[in-house]
Amino acid sequence: MTTQPTGYLCLVLHCHLPYVRHPEHEHFLEENWLFEAITDTYIPLLRVMNGLVRDGADFRLTATLSPPLISMLRDPLLISRYERHLNRLIELASKEVHRTASQPEFHRLATMYLERFLQTRHAFAQECGRDLVSVFGHLQDLGKLEIITCGATHGFLPLLNVTPSAVRAQLRTAVAHYEEVFSRPPHGIWLPECGYYPGLDEVLRDEGLQFFFTESHGLLYADPRPRYGVHAPVFCPTGVAAFARDLDSSKQVWSAEEGYPGDPAYRDYYRDIGWDLDYDYIKPYIHVDGKRINTGIKYFRITGKTDQKQVYDRAWALERAADHAGNFMFNRERQVEWLAPVMDRPPIVVAPYDAELFGHWWFEGPEWLDFLFRKLHFDQQTVKPITPAEYLERHDVNQVCTPCGSSWGYKGYHEVWLNGGNDWIYRHLHTAARRMEELTRAFPQAEGLTRRALTQAGRELLLAQSSDWAFIMKTGTMVEYAVKRTKEHLARFTSLYEQLRSGHVDAGFLKDLEEKENLFPTLDYRHFS
Amino acid sequence: MTAELPDHYGRTELVLMVVDPLLLFAYWEATPESLGQAQDALGAEMEGARAVLRFYDISLIHFDGTNAHHTFDIDIGLEARGWYVHLWTAEKSYCADLGFVARTGRFQAITRSNIVHTPRAGVSARDEERWMRVRFMRRRKPDPARPLESVPAPPFWGRQSPEELRALLERRLREQARLAAEFAKGTSPGSMSQGSR
Repeated sequence: MTTQPTGYLCLVLHCHLPYVRHPEHEHFLEENWLFEAITDTYIPLLRVMNGLVRDGADFRLTATLSPPLISMLRDPLLISRYERHLNRLIELASKEVHRTASQPEFHRLATMYLERFLQTRHAFAQECGRDLVSVFGHLQDLGKLEIITCGATHGFLPLLNVTPSAVRAQLRTAVAHYEEVFSRPPHGIWLPECGYYPGLDEVLRDEGLQFFFTESHGLLYADPRPRYGVHAPVFCPTGVAAFARDLDSSKQVWSAEEGYPGDPAYRDYYRDIGWDLDYDYIKPYIHVDGKRINTGIKYFRITGKTDQKQVYDRAWALERAADHAGNFMFNRERQVEWLAPVMDRPPIVVAPYDAELFGHWWFEGPEWLDFLFRKLHFDQQTVKPITPAEYLERHDVNQVCTPCGSSWGYKGYHEVWLNGGNDWIYRHLHTAARRMEELTRAFPQAEGLTRRALTQAGRELLLAQSSDWAFIMKTGTMVEYAVKRTKEHLARFTSLYEQLRSGHVDAGFLKDLEEKENLFPTLDYRHFS
Repeated sequence: MTAELPDHYGRTELVLMVVDPLLLFAYWEATPESLGQAQDALGAEMEGARAVLRFYDISLIHFDGTNAHHTFDIDIGLEARGWYVHLWTAEKSYCADLGFVARTGRFQAITRSNIVHTPRAGVSARDEERWMRVRFMRRRKPDPARPLESVPAPPFWGRQSPEELRALLERRLREQARLAAEFAKGTSPGSMSQGSR
């Protein structure tokens, strides 16, 4: 029996990407989102976790694997395209090793990239057997990682709730998908964008989910006032537990002013050879239509607020990552020592981050995490990493409060997903959701072609509901693609709806859609009732 | 080529959505038939009538159409089909009618909306505590109908008196809430970028 620590640290990584798979195009730019995340984030994170297990450094991490991400990571077409992408990257890195032969500081980095990509290829094919999801699953079986689910397609639930069946379908589909993949139910959920509204916990309870996360003010503004603020979970009146984000630990990583990722020693994300090098040289490795894009090879460090960037020094950057991990741990130790004396249990510090921050945006993020978990294990006893499930097993008595409606988006409510740039989507999304519910009533026991059409209609509706589209419309990059996806899924849904209502399903049209959009092959259309 | 969505669904409806504690978004569609009916009902009074959204504050009541705490009208352009409505207090329940107000003051509704609840914008004033024991179920789904066990609140923990501790914890919570509100306006995952530049 280990002694009780002074406090707990619950690190949560939210791994999600929208479902982007275009078999109809040989090359599709937005599929790179997945490829870059695999190379930059998912494989490095798995390597960190496997290394900790190998070295006996006990750790606990909670991670969402959203259903679209799981589906893409297991899709044979995307897997083979990822390998093609990686092979081209290796080819480019090899050329870079030659090109930089007379520039030692760049040559060192080019060699680092080449080795890194070769290692990635080996890790993907050999160590992971081209199946990253099962490696995540194995870490969960070891008790180190808690994999939680998310909305089926990351629909922003507070704005889908105009049609309550849409919220139920997002959750039922996600839970059923998780059970298929991991052969057990999920314990908890990352609500898409941390979007909570009072009453949502009733749907969570009905789907067997036992905890979720909210933004800080989800608990700070909860009713009645929670005695321990964000440093203990509360039970909603339904018995579902709500954990809330801790501000101090968030700020240290997220904050544009104070955050670690902005350190001058760290690699600069924005200076990429896809933009810097001679066009004819780089052309084979950028977009097929000739548009310059990021390749993933970057030679400069952040340096400061200047255009005169200095060359990246890997050893120095790793030193900084170790310093920052030590600083983060020191701050958590002092934080829990300050909180604990007035609490009847160890305080919990919940620190959630978008997984893609680690490795993709913040190149040294995975190493930071590695240093942090090693230090937590070997260097101190004050703070112990924990998962929400373990916390709730140890502390099954909690205060009952209703969290406040909230999200983790700008200003903390719904503005990011509902504003002048994207409000037009909701009348269509709500109408489609209402019509889907109507179809489940009209066809309670469908079989054959009708069933397939109903299933595909549900699939198109779910895909249209991804919060990613509204988010992209708000942020202003790739807007055209987000608009196109929203309109396409809704238009396909409407065609299927009209065909089902008129009693004439076009088998050829349906087959074409089924081949294009293969998410959730075992989707049950009755989830939408 | 991108598929285009229909302009109209042939259905009369008014839908309210919450943007934040002090802002709602309303969208609507009114079929020519439903517009015609409302215009007919107003008859000669339709001359000079304004299209409005009539809001009802129905916080904590069962609304029967007449017992709203408060109502207010927002003038709209019917053809806009969407409108942002600024509010002045948080944590309320609203529904609204889309309709016409005649110069005489007579109101004719076209359709009534769904009900929305705006979230709280600050720390709750209520501090009475309820506590519960809920057994965590590993690798199994709990029965949604399982009874939940209320338990006494744990004593306040620490060297000071319970009153002092309660006050101390409340002060800390309010300070956290102030910082959280500041933080939400600055950095959030929604505005992720690589640090200071």
